[in-house]
Amino acid sequence: MDPIQTMPVSPYARLVRAVLRTWALVVLAFLYLPIAFLVLFSFEESRTPGLPITGLTLHWYEKMISNGILLGAVWNSILVAVAATTLATIIGTMAAFPLVRGGIRFPNVARILFTLPIMLPGALIGVALLLFFRRVLDAELSFWTVIAGHLVFTTPYIVLIVGARLQGFDRMLEWAAADLGASPARVLRHIVLPLIAPAIMAGALISVTLSIDEFVITFFTVGPQLTLPIYIYTQIKFGVTPEVNAVATVLLVGTMAVLGLSWLMAGQARRISGLIGSRGGAGR
Amino acid sequence: MTGIGAGRLAIELIEATKRYGETIALDGVSLGIEPGEFFCLLGPSGCGKTTTLNLIGGFIPLTAGELRIEGRRVNDLPPHRRNVNTVFQNYALFPHMTVAQNVAFGLRMARLDGRETERRVAEYLDLVGLSALRARSPAQLSGGQQQRVALARALARRPAVLLLDEPLGALDLKLRKQMQVELSRIQRQVGTTFVFVTHDQEEALSMATRIAVMSDGRVVQSGTPREIYYRPVDRFVADFIGESNFLEGHLAADGGARRVRFRDGGAVIVPSELPVGLARAGAVTLMVRPECVSVGTTAPEGQWATLTGRVINVAFLGNHTRVTVQTAAGAVVTLRPHSEGSRSAALDGLLDQEVCVWWSPQESTVVASDTGGGADGSLA
Repeated sequence: MDPIQTMPVSPYARLVRAVLRTWALVVLAFLYLPIAFLVLFSFEESRTPGLPITGLTLHWYEKMISNGILLGAVWNSILVAVAATTLATIIGTMAAFPLVRGGIRFPNVARILFTLPIMLPGALIGVALLLFFRRVLDAELSFWTVIAGHLVFTTPYIVLIVGARLQGFDRMLEWAAADLGASPARVLRHIVLPLIAPAIMAGALISVTLSIDEFVITFFTVGPQLTLPIYIYTQIKFGVTPEVNAVATVLLVGTMAVLGLSWLMAGQARRISGLIGSRGGAGR
Repeated sequence: MTGIGAGRLAIELIEATKRYGETIALDGVSLGIEPGEFFCLLGPSGCGKTTTLNLIGGFIPLTAGELRIEGRRVNDLPPHRRNVNTVFQNYALFPHMTVAQNVAFGLRMARLDGRETERRVAEYLDLVGLSALRARSPAQLSGGQQQRVALARALARRPAVLLLDEPLGALDLKLRKQMQVELSRIQRQVGTTFVFVTHDQEEALSMATRIAVMSDGRVVQSGTPREIYYRPVDRFVADFIGESNFLEGHLAADGGARRVRFRDGGAVIVPSELPVGLARAGAVTLMVRPECVSVGTTAPEGQWATLTGRVINVAFLGNHTRVTVQTAAGAVVTLRPHSEGSRSAALDGLLDQEVCVWWSPQESTVVASDTGGGADGSLA
């Protein structure tokens, strides 16, 4: 065994370790127990979920599927997520190039400006957008204002992830491609984009998961349409129904699946970048 | 003057200069490379050899001067429009493509049709001996194999000139020797002009048909390996390539033959034809290669440059013995190869003995003393 782990540190080491371990479990329980109950209650027979469980049923899932308003809200959320992610991916990827490769005057300021929306409170962004759309542009709140709102917080993630990928990109590969007769456009298409594609995909998937359950900014910018989080919010006002639990469970599973996929993509990106990294360095 | 037709140069640099702000990377270099040559740019790091290669490849623009490829001025032509291809120091293979796709890349960019592309990929993978690995990804290859892929990829476009930027630098010694032989064979087989950058003098001597020795952004000397080795123009070249004895003295006319007279006594005959600038008497450095120097208890009769001294070191080095003799002109090192019948044992007895060292005057070179500073100190 590694001596550092068995080294006698304090007579209370064993006790301290036990206490810390228990504390960690308490914190984890605090984080995940509510979600576990949410999933559990979505299968509960009773109309008013609570302990003890009276019986298990898929009834609420059936009800969910036959709820037209709910399905409409899900569809809206998906549309917004796809549209916002597509735009954010294009804008974010294009922004990452000058941010990483220079050619701009204040690269650090620009980098902060591009990623600041991640840190800004959603309510602030929401109010600002509402004022801007209604008072400055005099536009009706609609689907498009929601998509624009989602662009504000999804684009920075794409910039960050794609930027990180470009940072480690071996520029000699571009020289080599140009040397072999590729015009700058073809270098981009055949060399650069395929190699940063995993990062672009990972960024897009994270953007989808962020967008699909975003509430605050959506709440300020949405018109008469319902998105899924807004629908859940309106239902909660009449008490938590098991149907909402079922919707939330589906959302949870969907989000986990997308995040898992993006994690796999990022892993692939790391493997390729490791390969490039081992080759880079020593220039002149 | 560089018209179309026979005799035009593959590469021609005319007063080529490259400046990075205040720093001069290349200082008015003029160079002509004939078609079919295996031309080597040799020099220490920072001498401008890689800059020269990058200028020819089109990766960096010239500050001043002119660059011609096959007689055509290409100063402002981007890399993808130049008829040259490069083997990069770290190979720069595309990690998301297989070996075959890497080799095919340049052909795809040239919009060659599928059949011809396939044929050429097979041809060049065969040339470098990698046909069996065509479906591998670069990450699955050893350094030497990656090097061959890079070579095949660059050659497949059949460029007028192939540029190689220290391609053997990342390989271990044994593989490097093997690849030197391999590269020479490939160059003879395809007949393409090779321009090779290296800081390894042995690599340059063994492969090149002509060498340009560079230092501080200038070409100090260019010529065949033999010219560079036996007739270095200054102390820098003699010191950078191989080993040399440097003896400081004065040129003096002494009857019929000219001699170099040393401060602490003694004089030796020098070659009959001397560099033009040295016609008058002055401070000079006489250079002679250790393997050209003989050692013995008595000097032979005839036209030899002879010095006397005491043996201060004898070192057995396997295939040769290295004897250092302290003479009035300084320490003189001689390398004695071991052939049959002359094993080193006889030389061991020379330690602390008074001996003669001698060489043929034609084997020595004389340059003015103030040239090629920096690298000071003769062999010991």
